[in-house]
Amino acid sequence: MRRWVRVIVVLAGIGALALAMLHFGVLERSVVSADLEAPLSSEAMAKLAARGRYLVVAADCYACHTHGDGPPWAGGLPFETPFGTIHATNISPDADTGIGKWTRRDFHRALRDGIAPGNRHLYPAMPYASYRDLTADDVDAMYAYLMTCEPISRANVANDVNFPNNIRALVGAWNMFVLRAPEQPDASKSAEWNRGRYLTNALGHCGECHTPRNFLMAMKRDRYLQGAVLEGVEAPDIRRDTLALVGFEPEGLARFMRLGVSPLGSMTGPMFEVVHFSTQYLDDADLAAMATYLLGEPPPPVKAVVPVEVSPKIGESGRRTWFALCAGCHGIGGEGLPQVSVPMRTNSSLRIPSPRGFLTSVMRGIAQQDFPGLARMQAMPGFAEHLGDQEIADLATWARATWGGQGKEITAAEVAELRR
Amino acid sequence: MSIATRALSLTVNGKAVGPVQVPETTMMIDFLHEYLNLTGSRLGCGIGVCHACTVILDHPDGRSEEWRTCITGAHFFAGKSVRTIEGHAQRDAQGEVAKLTPVQQAFIENFAFQCGYCTPGFVTGATVLLEQLARNPVAREDLERVIHAALDRHICRCTGYVRYYEAVRNVVLATPGLVKA
Repeated sequence: MRRWVRVIVVLAGIGALALAMLHFGVLERSVVSADLEAPLSSEAMAKLAARGRYLVVAADCYACHTHGDGPPWAGGLPFETPFGTIHATNISPDADTGIGKWTRRDFHRALRDGIAPGNRHLYPAMPYASYRDLTADDVDAMYAYLMTCEPISRANVANDVNFPNNIRALVGAWNMFVLRAPEQPDASKSAEWNRGRYLTNALGHCGECHTPRNFLMAMKRDRYLQGAVLEGVEAPDIRRDTLALVGFEPEGLARFMRLGVSPLGSMTGPMFEVVHFSTQYLDDADLAAMATYLLGEPPPPVKAVVPVEVSPKIGESGRRTWFALCAGCHGIGGEGLPQVSVPMRTNSSLRIPSPRGFLTSVMRGIAQQDFPGLARMQAMPGFAEHLGDQEIADLATWARATWGGQGKEITAAEVAELRR
Repeated sequence: MSIATRALSLTVNGKAVGPVQVPETTMMIDFLHEYLNLTGSRLGCGIGVCHACTVILDHPDGRSEEWRTCITGAHFFAGKSVRTIEGHAQRDAQGEVAKLTPVQQAFIENFAFQCGYCTPGFVTGATVLLEQLARNPVAREDLERVIHAALDRHICRCTGYVRYYEAVRNVVLATPGLVKA
């Protein structure tokens, strides 16, 4: 009996020790060097702030750390995760409720190691797994910029995370398995390609949405940028072959990230916000670099879409729905209307193997969106209630075959699945 | 090149229409204007924004719904039942208007419109709202919000909003059963 007690005590001791080690982050490898202990002079801060502002936009910090019409950087955007709700924090330089007391090194640790002052492990909803690749110079500049913003006194909203995920030290174990050494420049590629990779992977953290996640909810590195479904919305595959398949060449892809609209469609849902808050403000060279990285050097040739025949029954059904509910705005021939609706005969959502993006747009609709440069697209109603599963499936099969060159027949069961 | 047509049958203002051969690409507003001479529904923006073109779609289960005809194909309404602006008022044996609906009457009494272009859509939207409230009465404190939500999408360029709004509120409050006791 006493032996069991001893075993339990020893096990508990080991557990407590492990938790303490996780809490203090001693098991994790920091990428923040010791020389960052030295504070930046106020002259250095002032000099860095302008570049920091640009980098903070490129890293799209605003989208999460500012809530709706709330004050900038004061936090509050809720994230629904399988483990509970996490709230983005106040990162304005307010001393009590924001990051006003953070040292230069604290900021580096939070962005690149995922550990805030007091060994508070951040949840990976904060994309530090991607920001880990940021250069120390850039993180300095971002720190300098945020510290010059207006301090907003606004207490953080408490997270509502289930047990045991509410034990933050356990994130330390996640970090041990998931975090890698920062990505180094690839000498075999051009400077532009390397810049594009840095903007895409580190600053833009595109992989956080466009990469499927494993059982640890970590990005599957071997399936990087291959597309994933988030909250029912598809972040499509954005590897070079898929981008080329849908018709992107480098200039067009860069312009799409600047404007949010292109002949291939418009940015919708969460990606619209990325354009709205971030990519529209990137300079031409950086957008071109991202396109160079995403499409590769040299970019693949864009191939013409070859329409596929569908059965008369599906063709009849698809065309009937098209003329009844779609053609009024998107045109009889799918040509679209400027400032109203995107063309569908060249739409990327019809040219990719996955029908999910097209189907969810048809079923749920798309909110009106105002794009950079006073461009806009009108709201699209959702038709889930007005069309049956087979009608939606036939519309998708017909449109994908006719305009997208995709021959796969979409079934009513696939549509029914999306209704859940 | 010939235009592909398809036989269309539907019910308009309680009367069976068709079958009539209609191009498969014809929009409902054009069918109402050109085939049925029902020109009261207005073609405004043509892109589904202004709601001057709406008609009432009556579902078999008794629900009524507002539907934009400028962006909806005529054949969408095959086998369905719609009410256009011409079908609201009561008519006598000669087909002349005998009695306006409470919504139409209230719009006149409140001087709700000036040029009148948007009015068919407002009559349609307000009527659908009244029919919805008859099925699901609203709490008094929610009434203003519900009217706003129902008519918000209708565009008027002659500043009629406040008078339209007040007219609809008057009708709702004067009609028993629309507001919860």
